[in-house]
Amino acid sequence: MSSLLWFTRPEGERLERICQIKLNGTELQHKYIVALTVCQSLQDDHEITIEELEMRYTTSVTKGLTSSKAAEVLERDGPNELLPPKGTPEYVKFARQLAGGLQCLMWVAAVICFIAFGIEFSRGTLGCFDDLYLAITLITVVVVTGCFGYYQEFKSTNIIASFKNLVPQQALVIRDGQKNQINAMDLVVGDLVEIKGGDRVPADIRIIFAQGCKVDNSSLTGESEPQSKTPECTHENPLETKNIAFFSTTCLEGVATGTVINTGDRTIIGRIASLASGVGNEKTPIAIEIEHFVDIIAGLAIFFGFTFFVVAMFIGYAFLEAMIFFMAIVVAYVPEGLLATVTVCLSLTAKRLARKNCVVKNLEAVETLGSTSVICSDKTGTLTQNRMTVAHLWFDNVIHAADTTEDQSGQSFDQSSETWRSLARVAGLCNRAIFKPNQESLPIPRRIVVGDASETALLKFTELAIGNMMEYRERFKKVVEVPFNSTNKFQLSVHELEDPMDLRYLLVMKGAPERILERCSTILVRGQELPLDEQWREAFQTAYMDLGSLGERVLGFCHIYLNENEFPRGYKFDSDEMNFTTSGLCFAGLISMIDPPRATVPDAVMKCRTAGIRVVMVTGDHPITARAIAANVGIITEGSETVEDIATRKRIPVEQVNRRDARACVISGGQLKDMSSEELDEALRSHPEMVFARTSPQQKLIIVESCQRLGSIVAVTGDGVNDSPALKKADIGIAMGIAGSDAAKNAADMILLDDNFASIVTGVEQGRLIFDNLKKSIAYTLTKNIPELTPYLIYITVSVPLPLGCITILMIELATDIFPSVSLAYEKAESDIMHLKPRNPRKDRLVNESLAAYSYFQIGAIQSFAGFTDYFTAMAQEGWYPLLCVGLRSHWEDVHLQDLQDSYGQEWTYAQRLYQQYTCYTVFFISIEICQIADVLIRKTRRLSIFQQGFFRSVDVNCMEQMGQWWFVPIPYGILIFVYDEIRKLGVRRHPGSWWDQELYY
Amino acid sequence: KGEGERNRWRETGLILLFYLVFYIFLGGMFVLTMYVMLLTLDDYKPTYQDRLVTPGMMIRPRGEAMEILYNTKDTESFDIYAQTLNNFLESYNNSLQVQNNDECPPDNYFIQEDSGEVRNNPKRSCQFNRSTLEECSGITDRTYGYQKGQPCVLIKLNRVIGMLPGKDGQSPYVTCGAKRYKVGQDEWKEDSDAIGELAYYPPNGTFNLMYFPYYGKKAQLNYSQPLVAVKFLNISLNTDVNVECKINSNTLKTGGERDKFAGRVSFKLRITSPKN
Repeated sequence: MSSLLWFTRPEGERLERICQIKLNGTELQHKYIVALTVCQSLQDDHEITIEELEMRYTTSVTKGLTSSKAAEVLERDGPNELLPPKGTPEYVKFARQLAGGLQCLMWVAAVICFIAFGIEFSRGTLGCFDDLYLAITLITVVVVTGCFGYYQEFKSTNIIASFKNLVPQQALVIRDGQKNQINAMDLVVGDLVEIKGGDRVPADIRIIFAQGCKVDNSSLTGESEPQSKTPECTHENPLETKNIAFFSTTCLEGVATGTVINTGDRTIIGRIASLASGVGNEKTPIAIEIEHFVDIIAGLAIFFGFTFFVVAMFIGYAFLEAMIFFMAIVVAYVPEGLLATVTVCLSLTAKRLARKNCVVKNLEAVETLGSTSVICSDKTGTLTQNRMTVAHLWFDNVIHAADTTEDQSGQSFDQSSETWRSLARVAGLCNRAIFKPNQESLPIPRRIVVGDASETALLKFTELAIGNMMEYRERFKKVVEVPFNSTNKFQLSVHELEDPMDLRYLLVMKGAPERILERCSTILVRGQELPLDEQWREAFQTAYMDLGSLGERVLGFCHIYLNENEFPRGYKFDSDEMNFTTSGLCFAGLISMIDPPRATVPDAVMKCRTAGIRVVMVTGDHPITARAIAANVGIITEGSETVEDIATRKRIPVEQVNRRDARACVISGGQLKDMSSEELDEALRSHPEMVFARTSPQQKLIIVESCQRLGSIVAVTGDGVNDSPALKKADIGIAMGIAGSDAAKNAADMILLDDNFASIVTGVEQGRLIFDNLKKSIAYTLTKNIPELTPYLIYITVSVPLPLGCITILMIELATDIFPSVSLAYEKAESDIMHLKPRNPRKDRLVNESLAAYSYFQIGAIQSFAGFTDYFTAMAQEGWYPLLCVGLRSHWEDVHLQDLQDSYGQEWTYAQRLYQQYTCYTVFFISIEICQIADVLIRKTRRLSIFQQGFFRSVDVNCMEQMGQWWFVPIPYGILIFVYDEIRKLGVRRHPGSWWDQELYY
Repeated sequence: KGEGERNRWRETGLILLFYLVFYIFLGGMFVLTMYVMLLTLDDYKPTYQDRLVTPGMMIRPRGEAMEILYNTKDTESFDIYAQTLNNFLESYNNSLQVQNNDECPPDNYFIQEDSGEVRNNPKRSCQFNRSTLEECSGITDRTYGYQKGQPCVLIKLNRVIGMLPGKDGQSPYVTCGAKRYKVGQDEWKEDSDAIGELAYYPPNGTFNLMYFPYYGKKAQLNYSQPLVAVKFLNISLNTDVNVECKINSNTLKTGGERDKFAGRVSFKLRITSPKN
């Protein structure tokens, strides 16, 4: 696929050029991010001069638009909001519920019923209305389950909708030269807006003026490194240049003023969001399974129907009659209750998952999750807490570990050292982050802070360690500060001391450790200032390296008391000139920060590993950090080496290392860019432990596609707008409930309400369980198809009075058997399902031949025999011996024959015979029910003995009123079913892989 | 390749063998349970008779769909009815009856109980002589009155083992009348004018108690089912006449709406007779 795209400028200039878009240094290689879009939406607004800009939008960079002009533009462009992607119309969603594989089968059956009804009605056959009822029932079942499924999806859509931010965003806009607070929705192109730290950028903005402005582009690019914004055009590429701030990104600090150049769907984010719909939705595995199953059913139905059609013709029935037999058999094969069972099972699981923080948008996704074999997970927020936290401190030449747990309840380090107090003071004072007011009641880790990630971490850390930092800072009045910039790589501030008698100023500084060290001449050790000699420098170096290799962001801290004489009270400090001491400082220590993994994640990753699921980390972060976190949570296991590790260990060049020796592999976005798809496939194949770092969200899509090429069923997590294509492409897209953008949530199949990776694992477990249990449910439901069909076959071929009527069959299918088959959905797992490999979608089918054969031709056969035994018993006890029944049909059904003789010489009227026939229906029904009780017991397990699993955990067979002795006749057959299945399972367990196992394990 | 082929055949063979054994076993089990079930049955009396509380009634000749239609001038049209009755009544010939059956005291049940395990078989039956049907016996009138437009219809009560159709020496008897039938929404009609006078044979249309109880075809080989003949003496010609006959007994109830033939029987008569 070419990353080069030709495009035309919209103004008709026919300026054709190759647009190679770079986003934070990473190329967007993918077709879904069409360069055209980006270039169209941004044009050259960043390159033109301010004057040209004013001209273009008839605005002023000082006074803003006039109110009338603003109203006019608003009229023209519409409100500044992302229109929800054109969702599927509700009626289409509903229609989709009616058009699944099973549903189609039932529609066909209903049509056949209508045809049969038409034929029989015109011939005046008695009981032809059964066909009509059947047709109506079939349609009702489809429609009712359709409504049910629709309702389920509707409900989860609502849950998702409730997550949308309902508070309207405000923007500070300058119109007619006056500052106004208006709804961001009402912004128009040309408006002059002001943003400050903590604000969300309300539209795409060309920066006119900025002061220390930094934005977090993560919602756009997935990368959380703050980007500074200045009025200068620094790059011809609109995405790279510093003078454009994008809609939906967050301003972390500083202030900026800018002119709105794009609003609503015409913003970059809007364009990208609308592109996600370009990626087609794949069929879910369960839909494929059900289609496969419908194929089996339809094949068998037509085979049986045709066989008996031929048999009927051979026996001497009229063609039309034989045709009706054919249709009846085909219809009888349709498992009416199955659709309801599947829908109920899936929605029950969806409900269960929702309680565990997974909201499933599409019911079928529940099962997809169970078949997942690769999870491509984000790092930030999913594997980690999405919160920079102080992880380690180095002072007094010791590395102290700080508490990084989510509730910060762990044991902290020894805080008695004098050095610690100085270090904490520097960290607390040289810090511009502040708590948003009115959060005293919240625990410190959950308070909202305005400021960048590391300052936030330091603020919270000091707040925890020292106490009220806001008040603490009051005591040390700030005189001057120099914000961080990339040339200095440090930040400093000068404070008065809290002791009013001490008139010295305190200068505190933090920054990149090596830069800080350069400026220091002494080091604080146990409260003592010692000269910073070589030994200490080496100690510093070791500590710095150690912390760096943990993937942590390390900051150095130092301070100095300014000479009272040189800098007396009232001294004019100048932040630009820096007319004060900035060297010869006293080094206090290092503090390193990391976004720590969530507590539950290592366990969850471990579970995935035992479950045969690969967890691939895909992150925008630095490879070292990514690797550290991967190692931390177990994505890279202990002892696994990358090619580079092996090279270092063996002291050989990287090229000489056998790639297959390395279990782990860290690939950065840059490397990925240069890899062909074959190379990527090969890398994924040969390294079980993969980490992708510094990747753009678009590369995520490439990774997903590669996994899918290797035959995996891929789950992908994502939150950014740019993740939408990957989420759609994945077999199951998982969006984050908290951090996720609406676009991501729209594209996803499932939403994690708590953003926690561990919830995915729960989902996988439930998905696997539902696959197993659906199998059991289907096996159970299918079994009774045979005892429902055989009466009719025997009726045709042997001409006995009809043993089982159509309405009774519907009664079994839709009333008595629904509960047990649904109860199987609650069955606990037979073995530790999380210790098995994910199912192979090509081999482990939901309904395989052995399941069908075992259900139909074995258990079903036993049930049929049970039914006939009971039927013949009931007939014989009333005076109709089995041999008399054979061939009796035409007499039995003769309406005018009121004195048909039974085996004892008694004479029966038609009505009496009909009553007897209804009794037979009941008897057959009872037999099926009794056998189904045995069936539901055997279906609880497929491999384990029922005695190993425990008996009555979930069986809720609603016993009907005792109806005489007929309950007892089928019991031997029920026992036979039970014993036979135990023998089967014993064989399966004892001789895995044997012929018996292959044929009889489903 | 040949190996795989052979393996597949072997497997298919095994499966077939498995199913063969499986179905033989199931079939065997079925036959066995059937056999055991049949052993539990009494040869002489069905286990349950709850469907036969009220015995059905039936007519002879029964015609097509309980309709007797003929033309007095067209011999062929009623000959089939006469023929049916002839065949039906053959076993009631006096000679046969006297030869096979006992002459019983009337108005009493002819009870022949078994004494414990000792079967009192074969059981005797009472004579029902064809001659008791008099005008409808076919002895005097070979056409059973069909030619004269005075047709005979024989009515029989369905056999039910052990049924006692009357108490206190009261034999059940048959009465016939016009049938109320529906012609439209809530519109009922009966052909009471058209039915004319009726004659019953034996007198009063009784089923004498001596023919009951019935002991089943195995115990009571020569059972002669009692009959009642109804002769329509001056039934309206050239019109449909709906007739309903029902049993009058102090033990049997007529069936409800559900069974139109329990304790009663209805049929249609249409006798065509050209004026000239």
